[in-house]
Formats: sequence, structure tokens, C-alpha cells
Amino acid sequence: MKNSFDEKILDEAKDWIKANQKVVLATVIQTWGSSPRQVGSRMIVNEKGDFSGSVSGGCVESAVVSECLSLIKDNKPCKKIEFKVSNESAWEVGLACGGEIAVYIEQIH
Amino acid sequence: MKIKTLEEILKKKSSKTEFAILTNLENGDSEIYLPGTSPKGEFSKYVDQIENFFKSKKNGVIENSEIFVETYIKPIKVIIVGAVHIAQYLVDFAKSLNFEISIIDPRGYFASKQRFPDIKVINKWPKEAFEEIKTNSSTALIALTHDPKIDDPALQYALKNKFYYIGALGSKKTHENRCQRLSEAGFTNDEINSIHGPIGIKLGGKSAPEIALSIIAQLVSETYKK
Repeated sequence: MKNSFDEKILDEAKDWIKANQKVVLATVIQTWGSSPRQVGSRMIVNEKGDFSGSVSGGCVESAVVSECLSLIKDNKPCKKIEFKVSNESAWEVGLACGGEIAVYIEQIH
Repeated sequence: MKIKTLEEILKKKSSKTEFAILTNLENGDSEIYLPGTSPKGEFSKYVDQIENFFKSKKNGVIENSEIFVETYIKPIKVIIVGAVHIAQYLVDFAKSLNFEISIIDPRGYFASKQRFPDIKVINKWPKEAFEEIKTNSSTALIALTHDPKIDDPALQYALKNKFYYIGALGSKKTHENRCQRLSEAGFTNDEINSIHGPIGIKLGGKSAPEIALSIIAQLVSETYKK
């Protein structure tokens, strides 16, 4: 029961765009098992790698940031990324809780 | 997402209009959907599923599709009777949840703006106060005065209007007496038993914030059962 009306992350995205930054919006679109943030949780990333908001409890944020940077670099509109604990790179980006999440990243243009 | 769509989302958010953001995960198209209208293009195939997301107050990907739905749903109205100490903590907890609180208290010294700066406080008896608040079966009532003169009329109103959650503060003995009065007023056993009394889940705590926490926990749990 999140209070979406009062969430400020999209307002912040608008502020970043106003300041001439490139902004990628990352949204949790699916979760399986126990995962720290619910579907609809968001974070934003700019071309410098600054970010705000969250899509997990700190487990996959760094990986999401680098995916967002590549999206800007390759000038692609969107991408779906899945994170599982069984990932080869689990040491870096696995979810400690054993859950799985799918994150959708998209450029705001 | 287009900047235009983002701006439209911010506008809808600030006016607290219910809407959903529909996103096609394959091609990145997104649009805003208002409940009861027809979505455009590819999205139009999924109107029933989109409406279901509103009903269940959830967000997610529509099964066997690449369409993501994020709903923005109006807060649930919660009416507190009694601008008491516990109510101040309830207001704090409710801030981070999707509840919109109004407080009724005919006693001016309790119902002051200073005690509840950002909340609608109605300094009237329940009967008149309810004329100022729109209610329905998605409204919740928390009665905190344990004074029959103030709580009882509010409880009767909530029962008649089928609020989904009705809770009343007071000991077991206080609650027994309350049930007796409601029965004499013509309410059925089923109606009377639907009142959560003594209010709250068992946490063991007795302080005002602990009681508020036990009440808000019960309210959240009943909201998901709805």
C-alpha cells in the first residue's frame, strides 16, 4: 500500500531534465520470492552515474546504474534486466534475500 | 518515456486523480490511462486486466504480455474520533501509508490546529461532522474517546454505512457495555461483532505510540483482506 501520490522520484526526474541532464528511469516491474522493494519502486540515473531512489535494498543498484549508463551511451530507448541470486556475478549483484527481480530501464526523452 | 508523458504524470499526481501508467516493455511506448476510459492502440486489448489492477490495488506485468501497469490509487479515508494523544501517533504512521486521515472531536481543547497541523480536524459532534465528510464502504473508523456520548453515534454511523473497518478503544468491560448499548439500539450481533474491540492487534505495549502501532497494523491487515 504505497502512497504513490506523495512519491517524489518523478518530480526529481523532471528537475534533472530541466537541468539539462540525461535521465534514465528504472522501475521494478516483477518480483519473485522475497525481494526488498515492491513492484513500482523506482530510481533515476543520469549520464554521470548519479542516482536517486532505489530498486532493491542496495543489492543491485550499482549494476542498474551501469546498465543505465550503457543505455545512454548506446542511445537505446529501453531494456529489461533480470536479477537472480544464482547469477554468475552473484557476489556483486545478487540479491542477498534470495529473491529475483526484473527491472525495466527507459530513457526519458 | 516521453517528457510530455512525465509532465502529465506529475500533473495527475499533484491533483490526486486516479490513473495508471501503461508501458509496452517491448518498444518503450507509454501512456496514461484513466479508469473507465478506453486505452489506445496495443493497450486496448488489455482493458479488463488493467481495471483488475485498480481493483486489487496492485502494480505488475499483465500475464502473457509485455505490458506493465502501475496504478495510482486514492488514499483510503480513515476517520478518527477523538483528537487524543494516540491520534497524534496514528497521524505520524499514516503519513507513509496510503491513508488520508480526518479527525472528529467536539471538545475544542483537543481538536486544535496546533496539535494536528496538517490534518482535517472537525470540531463538531459526530452527527454534524459526518455531513462534511464523504464516506462509503471503503472508509475506516477508529473511535478513541471511549466516551459513549462521542464514540457511539460515530460507531452507529459507521455500521449503518458499512465501513470496511471499525475499531473502538476501550477495555473488554468497556467494549461489553458498548456492545450492549448497540444491541439495544437495534444493531444485529453480526454488525456488532464486526467492530474491532478492544481495538488493535496484541503487541503487549501500553504507551500511546505502541497502541497507535497496534491499531495501524490491524488497519493495514484488514485493508488487504478487503
